Amino acid sequence: MAKNEVAVAGVGLSKHVSKRRDVNIAELVWEAVNACYEDAGIKPKDVDAFATGNMPAFEGVNMPEEWGAGHWGAYNKPVLRITTGGTTGGSVAHGGYYLVGSGLYDMVMCIAFEKQSDGNSTMGLNTVALADAAAQLQLGVDPSFIAAFGGGAVGVAVYQASSYMKSSGCTTNHLDKVAALCRNNAALNPYSHLKQPGLTPEEVAKTTLLQYPIRFGHVCPATDGACAMLFTTGEKARKLTDKPAYVLSCASASDEAALVGIAGSGTTNVDPCEQESCKIAAARAYEIAGIKDPRKEIDLAEPYAPFAHQLLMFYERLLLCNEGEAPSILDSGSMNLEGELPVCPSGGVISTNAIGASAMERVAECALQIMGKCGERQVKKEVHKAVAHGWGGAVNLNVVAVLSDEPRR
Amino acid sequence: MEHKDETIAIEGSWNLATWQWKLESIALIRKTFDTMMKEHKLLANKCPGCGLVYFMPKPYCRCLSIPDEWVEIKDTATVTTYTFTGAWAYEGISEDEVSGTPLIFAGIVFDGSDTMTVSNLEGVDPEDVSVGMRVRLKWPEEVTGSLTDLAHCVPLEE
Repeated sequence: MAKNEVAVAGVGLSKHVSKRRDVNIAELVWEAVNACYEDAGIKPKDVDAFATGNMPAFEGVNMPEEWGAGHWGAYNKPVLRITTGGTTGGSVAHGGYYLVGSGLYDMVMCIAFEKQSDGNSTMGLNTVALADAAAQLQLGVDPSFIAAFGGGAVGVAVYQASSYMKSSGCTTNHLDKVAALCRNNAALNPYSHLKQPGLTPEEVAKTTLLQYPIRFGHVCPATDGACAMLFTTGEKARKLTDKPAYVLSCASASDEAALVGIAGSGTTNVDPCEQESCKIAAARAYEIAGIKDPRKEIDLAEPYAPFAHQLLMFYERLLLCNEGEAPSILDSGSMNLEGELPVCPSGGVISTNAIGASAMERVAECALQIMGKCGERQVKKEVHKAVAHGWGGAVNLNVVAVLSDEPRR
Repeated sequence: MEHKDETIAIEGSWNLATWQWKLESIALIRKTFDTMMKEHKLLANKCPGCGLVYFMPKPYCRCLSIPDEWVEIKDTATVTTYTFTGAWAYEGISEDEVSGTPLIFAGIVFDGSDTMTVSNLEGVDPEDVSVGMRVRLKWPEEVTGSLTDLAHCVPLEE
């Protein structure tokens, strides 16, 4: 447990669209950072340290935080850079929690971003898999053969979706419903990318089948966007805002790589939907947060779901219901904005995916919902405790954070 | 040169050969491939610590022991997950216009091993594929000692 109380006192988001050609990385990120300074009512001089992250391979710019330091107000301040694939933003938030919770710094600006239009994310993913691909090339395997087995994030997701559907009873109709739910929520979020008000599951079902069971309508877009959050002590947060969001806990767990093991070896992670590491991280996060029964105590969830099935799968792996129950909970309407346990009120990653920022935007949405700053998409129920999640790494890392409207008693 | 105040691309390429790799699994996998070619057998490595059997072989186990015992596994397997190609594979032709069987890929666990491999599943329609389905490796006419030898599976009739 953290030495100091940790709270979020401000959140800033940039505009999220496919291509921001009018700004460079530093300028795009500044939009979010400036919004966060304004939201918290502080000046750059008030910040003690920075934690930043993105997936540099996607833009092709290494150490962008060094480039951006002047733009963001970080000159001559400590800067901690964190990069963990799809979980990057979640890990940056964990960084903010550790920096403040340890008692080392009081005011920490956390910044997570991706400007995918500056690079090529498929190319970037290839660099993540380069050691594996190099091993196979060394063994004389044709590169087109490697590609045909479905590389990249979609390649991983389709196998995960099939085994999840088998084990849970989730149907393709549930996938369509998830997409419609999220895109309708996104329509109410000024910072989301794909806004599709009134989208119906029937319309999603008519989109092109990419790779069974995933249709075009079940997949996230590629987004340019940035998110900034001010992590500070409970004491300072209470001075800056009437209603801070307390970060009760952060936990993560890393599993063996899924689908194919490192450098061509086998992996004992044979069921891509099992996500044991998510269950372990969630259980640890709830324990540190003092939550005994997450099903009763959690009011809102922001699972990391760039693909439709993942919203249901991670809802289960975050221990919010028994395994196999999520599809029927979706059918009951409980996951809607006015439901008992709203899920992805932001519209989720399936609507907006600036990869490095995405997992932090889950934490940001939980904070904003607790602070009551969500405008049209503010959920009906009062949010006391919320859980944010990220999935990534070499598709093996899960990160979880629990936020609350009260410090842990 | 005309200047526009927006992001631009500059022509050029990077040389992969400037990086060095140590691929510790290659020697093990090479042994498995050579045995496939010479003896028509699937060789996996077994962990003395926890008993897990790795196919493809792995230099170290998740329990941190060295899997140094070679064991033969069967060429029959169970499907743990699958997918098949959608319309993108047919260059934009819509789904109802597609004729023939799409390519089916399956995650399979060979009998006697504890790890997953990906293979092409043939001789079955996509709607008849299911998780838990039993399959067998379709050995190529000429075994070349490479991953492509493992690329094709067919349903197992038991």
